[in-house]
Amino acid sequence: MTATTARKDAARVAGAVKVYGSGDTAVRALDGVSVGFPAGRFTAIMGPSGSGKSTLMHCAAGLDTLTSGTAYIGDTELGTLDDRRLTLLRRDRIGFVFQAFNLIPTLTVAENIALPMDLAGTKGSREWTDALVDVVGLRDRLHHRPSELSGGQQQRVAVARAFAGQPDVVFADEPTGNLDSRSGEEVLNLLGRAVRQMDRTVVMVTHDPVAAAHADEVVFLADGRLVDRMENPTADKVLDRMKAFDGKGAPV
Amino acid sequence: MNAALRLSVSSLRSHKRRFAGTFFAVLLGVAFLAGTLVMGDTLRAGFDTMFGNATKGTDAVVRSADTITTPGQSQGVRAPVGTDLVRTIERTPGVAAAAPDIQGAGQLIGSDGKPIGGQGPPTLAGNWIDDPLLNAYRLAEGRAPVKSGEVVVNRGTAEKGHLKIGDTTVLRTPDPVRVTIVGLATFGGEDGMAQVTFTGMTQADAEKYLTAKPGEAASIRVRAGPGVGQQELVSDLTPVLPEGVEAITGQESAQENTDMVSSQFLTIFTTLLLVFSGIALLVATFSIHNTFAIVVAQRTRENALLRALGASRRQVTASTLAEASVVAVTASAVGLAGGIGIAAGLQALFPAIGFPFPEGDLVISALSLLLPLGVGIVVCLGSALLPAARAGRTAPLAALRETAVDESGASRGRAVVGGGLAALALGVTLTGVLLTPSLWLAGLGAVLALAAFVVLGPVASTTVVRVLGAPLGKLRGVTGGLARRNALRSPKRTAATAGALMIGVTVVSLFTVFGASLKATMDQTVSRSFAGDVAVSTPSFGAGGSGLSPKLAPAIAGQPTVEYAVGLGKGVAEVNGKGRALTVTDPVTLGKVFDLGDVQGSLSGLGSDGIAITRTEAAKQHLATGDTARLTFTDGRKTNFTVRAVYGQSELAGDYVITRAAWAPHRTQDSDTVVAVSFKDGVSTAQGKAAVEKVAERYGSPEVQTRDEYAQSSAGGIDMMLTLVYALLALAVLIALLGIANTLTLAIHERTRELGLLRAVGQTRAQLRAMVRWESVLVAAFGTAGGLALGAFLGWVLVEASGGASDSAFAFAIPPLRLVVVALVGLAAGALAGLRPARRAARLDVLRAIATE
Repeated sequence: MTATTARKDAARVAGAVKVYGSGDTAVRALDGVSVGFPAGRFTAIMGPSGSGKSTLMHCAAGLDTLTSGTAYIGDTELGTLDDRRLTLLRRDRIGFVFQAFNLIPTLTVAENIALPMDLAGTKGSREWTDALVDVVGLRDRLHHRPSELSGGQQQRVAVARAFAGQPDVVFADEPTGNLDSRSGEEVLNLLGRAVRQMDRTVVMVTHDPVAAAHADEVVFLADGRLVDRMENPTADKVLDRMKAFDGKGAPV
Repeated sequence: MNAALRLSVSSLRSHKRRFAGTFFAVLLGVAFLAGTLVMGDTLRAGFDTMFGNATKGTDAVVRSADTITTPGQSQGVRAPVGTDLVRTIERTPGVAAAAPDIQGAGQLIGSDGKPIGGQGPPTLAGNWIDDPLLNAYRLAEGRAPVKSGEVVVNRGTAEKGHLKIGDTTVLRTPDPVRVTIVGLATFGGEDGMAQVTFTGMTQADAEKYLTAKPGEAASIRVRAGPGVGQQELVSDLTPVLPEGVEAITGQESAQENTDMVSSQFLTIFTTLLLVFSGIALLVATFSIHNTFAIVVAQRTRENALLRALGASRRQVTASTLAEASVVAVTASAVGLAGGIGIAAGLQALFPAIGFPFPEGDLVISALSLLLPLGVGIVVCLGSALLPAARAGRTAPLAALRETAVDESGASRGRAVVGGGLAALALGVTLTGVLLTPSLWLAGLGAVLALAAFVVLGPVASTTVVRVLGAPLGKLRGVTGGLARRNALRSPKRTAATAGALMIGVTVVSLFTVFGASLKATMDQTVSRSFAGDVAVSTPSFGAGGSGLSPKLAPAIAGQPTVEYAVGLGKGVAEVNGKGRALTVTDPVTLGKVFDLGDVQGSLSGLGSDGIAITRTEAAKQHLATGDTARLTFTDGRKTNFTVRAVYGQSELAGDYVITRAAWAPHRTQDSDTVVAVSFKDGVSTAQGKAAVEKVAERYGSPEVQTRDEYAQSSAGGIDMMLTLVYALLALAVLIALLGIANTLTLAIHERTRELGLLRAVGQTRAQLRAMVRWESVLVAAFGTAGGLALGAFLGWVLVEASGGASDSAFAFAIPPLRLVVVALVGLAAGALAGLRPARRAARLDVLRAIATE
């Protein structure tokens, strides 16, 4: 579409359509979305409930399949992959931070961080992991179980896990949804630092303008369509843009 | 209650899968129990009808009044009656016909040269009674024997030996007799009396080969004239009979036969089956309890919400119990129907595999309906009682809390109680085994040990699973590591799940160890007291087989390679009023081929009025060399014998030894059970054995075995028994398997989000499946390890207690190979149990699992 930057897209979808159900009960969650998420950038996906923002993320990340259209991670088209290849792709090239329940309760913090690498049977980069642990500030908690951590700490572990394998892109689904504002701020700062200081790529779904303000760019979704993009967002600008959606559908 | 019931029914409907395991556990246990009861009753009724039919024409049986019963024998030995009595009876008013019934052991050789039957049921031969109403067998094909050497055999035997009319074969009586089959017979409408083989010969042949002297019969069958009742006939006969001979009605005789089959076969059979259905139900109890415990734990929030909304503690408890009741009643009812189905199926199946199941309708008594139903319901409700009470105690506030994983179980109190129980069990057992040998104390200790294992399970599971699972993390990486952590998650649950399998494995290894010990004991006995080189015997088990010709031992002794050959015959007599088995042999040679231990007095001068006794029996009967023992034989004659020798070891030679000369006046059908042979110096075993085999060929080709082979074949029955036990225990293992599968399924349901997360961050389906399977294997490994340990310990207890209770020493042996197989089967069971839950887990929809609430 519009933003043809010098940077390559770490992930993108083209003509993405996702229909749930069939016949009278069919719901078009995505209605022809084409968007790229440039590498080395922090992109936020915003939109009111039911706008299809989570669906977009799930399809872009290979957690769900599109009804029509294509989704790419780098140059790999996801639609051509079977479940096994998709799983391996998620494991090796994508990081995830979910809203809640991000950690395996039986594993320690260190083991949770190393989980994707362990599943792959690889060691990963020691320095990188070490640096990550320091960035998220959990060195003294490495051998604790998730149940011994606060919600904010747990989410920071999840962030560390997401970046541990140096993936092409990290998808975060409402990562601050369950946190108080201070813990949320910490997590968002972490994501921002990962992009700006460590040259990582983050795509974050959120409905919180304050969270979206941490991103380099915000894409707005409404009724399954891409309706706007905003560079260098602030919380106020985002809030204003969101208010415009209320009431009268989607004025472009 | 209405609300509670409504809740439980709707919950059952929406969680059918959760209760599938419980349902099948109850169903299988109840079906097995019901099937056993119905089959037992049906068999009993069938035998009743069969004997009734077979002896319908016999109105009275005349026989010797006294029996001599030796310990361990359910059926006494009766003296024969004279056939000359037939004429007296025929002349008695009211008698229409009378015929002697001569009976002895006779084993037919099949067309393949191998003896037919002999592995349990008797192999009988007798005279073919021409009066069809007096003969229990009916001629189905061919004709009755008229010439010497002609025989009728029952159809079942002919089929098994692939013999047909016109065939010539050998009948071991035990002297081999060439016989030609001229007819096939049925018994009470069936191809035979269960698996008993019967050969009917002419009366002259029967007298010649089956009795010690002509003119003797086991009994005389009498038919009444028209209008004379059975009771009346007996009253008429009684005055004409000599002393020591009695008459009983045909009905009484049929009843005796039925009772005999019942006590020898049916009762043992059904008791065995009942014990195993008990074990199966015990295992089921564990599975069911576990399921309810997990379901209640998973429903904590729901129950708390109910409590917060105003449901009383009782209502919550009742709703859980109501759920259990519905499962209990349905599963028990279906199980009952299944059990009756099993019995009907067996009735159809048995004849197909050559076991004539007596015809007739299924007999379903009130007991076989009510008992399984009641037991099923009690087991199911009883298992749900504690979980239901826990459900009732749910605090309303629990609705607001995040439900934490249940990590209780390894509490101090449990460790203390379990430790106390274990110490008590050990104390009681060791007292019962070592200090004051008593089977009761040892049994009590065994039960306590089982209880201790169950209580200590959760405490032990953490350590044991950690140790057993340690190699898993290294071998299988994070998948194995996760499996191990999951198995460690809820020690109580892991222990309860494994507990079901543990009981199964305990019983299996208990029998395995006990069987191996029995074999080792036999081995030890043979190697200790059998000093010969080869033994000749007819491999048989139970009441079957015909024994060996008494002429065989002298024939073998005549060989140039043979130093000594001694035949051991069997006799019975009352010694000072107590029924005892006698060994009839040549005492001098006996002492050469068998090691009799330390002998006091002399075996060489027993003569026809001397007896040799083992030390233990001598002590029991207060006899010493020089004393007089009064022997009463089956023919009623009483003779004083002088104790001329007391010897130390008895295992193979028996407790009482008399000479053939002393036995001759009282003998019945003569046969030796074994002929022991030792070769001259310088004769190789192979060379000597070949010579003995050549002689044996002339006497119906009994088996010639080296010492090792002889020891092994003596233990042959044990393997048969073990196979049966394993087959029956498969049910308990199956139920345990269902329990493991069920717990895993519930656990997976609980961990949906966690599994979703794992899949999202890159766990492949194959890795997920492996993780669930390995968890299952680990739980099974814990149960198997516990079962092996407990089973081996209880095996030792049983062996030591049995050894203490009897006067011969028992050897304790652990069969490593078999136990390894048991362990592998346990692990395989775990892997198998994990298959379905693993598949279900892998099918999980990642998105649904991680979708935020």
